[in-house]
Amino acid sequence: MRRLMAIPSTLAAPPPGTQDLLFEAARRLRRCEAALAALFEGAGYAEAIPPLVERAAVFDPPEAAPRTGKAGADDSSTALLEGGALAAEKHPPGPLRAVDRSGQLLALRADFTAQIARIAATRLAGISPLRLYYRGSVVRESEGTGGELRERLQAGCELVGESDPRTDAELLSLAAAAPGALGVSKARLSVGTVAWFSALVDAADASPRLMHALSDAIDRKDRPTLERLCRAEVAPGKARDALLLLVRAPVAEAQAGALLDEARRLAPSPAATAALDRLAATLPLLRSQRSATGIELDLGEVRGLGYYTGLVFNLYAEGAPRAVGGGGRYDTLLGRFGDPRPAVGFSLDLDVLVPLAAASDVTGAGSAGSLGPSSRPPSQAREAQPC
Amino acid sequence: MLTIALPKGRLQKKVLERFAFAGVVPEEEPGSSRRLIVPALANPALPSGARFVLLKDGDVPLYVERGTADLGICGLDQLLESGADLLSPVDLGFGKCRLSLAGPKLGVAAMADPFAALADTAAPGRSLRIATKYPRLAARAFARRGVPVDLVRLSGSVELAAVAGLADAIVDLVETGRTLQENGLEVLADLLQVSARLVVNRASYRLKLEELLPLLDKMAPTAPEQT
Repeated sequence: MRRLMAIPSTLAAPPPGTQDLLFEAARRLRRCEAALAALFEGAGYAEAIPPLVERAAVFDPPEAAPRTGKAGADDSSTALLEGGALAAEKHPPGPLRAVDRSGQLLALRADFTAQIARIAATRLAGISPLRLYYRGSVVRESEGTGGELRERLQAGCELVGESDPRTDAELLSLAAAAPGALGVSKARLSVGTVAWFSALVDAADASPRLMHALSDAIDRKDRPTLERLCRAEVAPGKARDALLLLVRAPVAEAQAGALLDEARRLAPSPAATAALDRLAATLPLLRSQRSATGIELDLGEVRGLGYYTGLVFNLYAEGAPRAVGGGGRYDTLLGRFGDPRPAVGFSLDLDVLVPLAAASDVTGAGSAGSLGPSSRPPSQAREAQPC
Repeated sequence: MLTIALPKGRLQKKVLERFAFAGVVPEEEPGSSRRLIVPALANPALPSGARFVLLKDGDVPLYVERGTADLGICGLDQLLESGADLLSPVDLGFGKCRLSLAGPKLGVAAMADPFAALADTAAPGRSLRIATKYPRLAARAFARRGVPVDLVRLSGSVELAAVAGLADAIVDLVETGRTLQENGLEVLADLLQVSARLVVNRASYRLKLEELLPLLDKMAPTAPEQT
C-alpha cells in the first residue's frame, strides 16, 4: 500500500461546498449536459458562454420598487421575533468578489441569468425574440453561517424580447421535458405567478414589513401565521380573502381552472384579474405536450418577488430534497442594462439532477461505481459536506 | 413511504397522541427499546406505509430539510433557530412556552425599555454578555434594537450563567418561570411565543402530496386551544 506523505490539511480537500468530479461522475455530468443541450438546441436555443469572471455590479440584487403602503407599518405589533421578520432580515447568498489591480470590483459568476440579460441588453440589443441556453458553474457564498463557498452546476434557457403567454408556456414545456431527457422518471412542476400576490398586497395597501411577513408565511404554507397576520393587520375585504387562499394546497392541472375561477371572484383590482387571466391563458397551452412531469398550479409560489414579475415555477424530482430547478418571467431585469425588454427563463441544478439521472440510468452506469470515494452516489457525498 | 421525525422529550407523548388521532401509530413506543427507526402499523390511508425516527427536537429541522425525513415535529424556537428552509403548515397548538430575555430584577422604571436598561448594567467598556442556547434568535432580537451583545453559547443550565456571573442576562425558554424566580431572576421581555409545529420537506410536499394532505388535515387542532 502506498503511504501518503503528510501534507498541510489545507491542501487535502477542495474548499467546503465544492467537489472533484472524477471518472463516472464526470462522464455522467457531461452526458447529462449533452442531453440537455440537445433538448434546448432542438427547441431553437443557441448556446451562450458568458465569462466566469464578471463585473460584480451585474449580480447586484434588483432595487425593490418603493412601497408606500401603510397597513401594518407600525412595528410595535412585531416586537416578537417572527418568521416573517426573520426572513426580511435574511440576506440572500452573494457572489464571491475580488478587486483586480485597477481597483475594479469583480465577481465569480453567481447567476447566469444576469449575465445573459447583460449580453441581451447590450451586444444583442433589439434582436427579438432571442433564445439562449447555457451550462456551467455558478459560485455563491454559502447560505450557511460558516461563509463557505458553494459551487453549483447549472444549465438553463432564457427567452428575451417577447411577452406572449405562448413564451411562458414554451419555457414551462422545456423545463417539464428536462427530467425526461435525463431519464428522471418522477417529477413535478409547480406553477404560479407573483403578479397575483403583488396585486393583492397593493390592494391591501401593505407596508414593506407586512408584505415580507405575508410572503414568508405563504412561502412556508404557514396557514396559522397567515391567518393571524391577516386578522390583525389587513382590512377585511376581497384582498384579505384572496390572501388566505394562497396557502391552499396545490392542485393538479386538471383542476387549475376551478381554482383560478375561485380566485378570480376574489380579485380586488384589474391588475389582480390580469395576473390570473395570464395564467389561465398559459396553462392550456401546456396540455398538448407529452411529458412525464406532472404540472400543478400553486398560487402560493411567491418566492423571488422583486426579481420575477409574473410567471414563477419550481421543478421537483423524486430523490432530491429541494427544488432541482426553477424560473419565471423577469420583465424588469434587462432595464437595468439599458434595454427594457421582457424575458422569461429557467435554470436547472445539475449537481442535484445528475445523480438522480445516474440512479435511473441502469444501462449507462456500468460497474465503474467502484472507483473511489467520488463515485459514491453523490447524494451520500453531499451529506458529508458542510453547507 | 413517509418518514416522520419525532422529537424526544417534552413533546413526544402529545405528538404521538396527535399522530394516533390521524391514524398513524408506531409498532412500539419509540424510545422504549434501542430501535432507532420504528415502523407504523398498517393503515389503509397510507398504502405505502410510514415510519418514525426519534431525534432530539433541535435536529428535527435538519433531518426534514435534507429530506431524510419527509415531515417532523419541532418547537417554533428550534425551527427558527435552525434557519432551515421548510414548510410549516400546521401549528399543533401544544408545547406552548415563551422564548424570553431574563436577568436580574431591574425595577419597574427599567421595564419600559428592558434592552436599553440591561445594556446600562454591563460593566463599563464591555458589551452586554448574554448566555443562550439560541444564538441566532438572540442575536436578531438585540440587533433589531441596536444593542451590541457578546453572545455566549451554552448547551444547558442557561439560568446558571446569569446567577453565577458568566453572563449579564439570558435568552431561554420559559414555561412557568419558577426556575427563574427561585434564582432571583425575572423575565424582562418576551421574544417569541413558541408552540409545536409540524414541518414538511419542500420536495416531499410536492411529490407525496396525496399521502400528506389528509394527514396534515387531521394533525391540525380541531379547535384553537387556549393559551
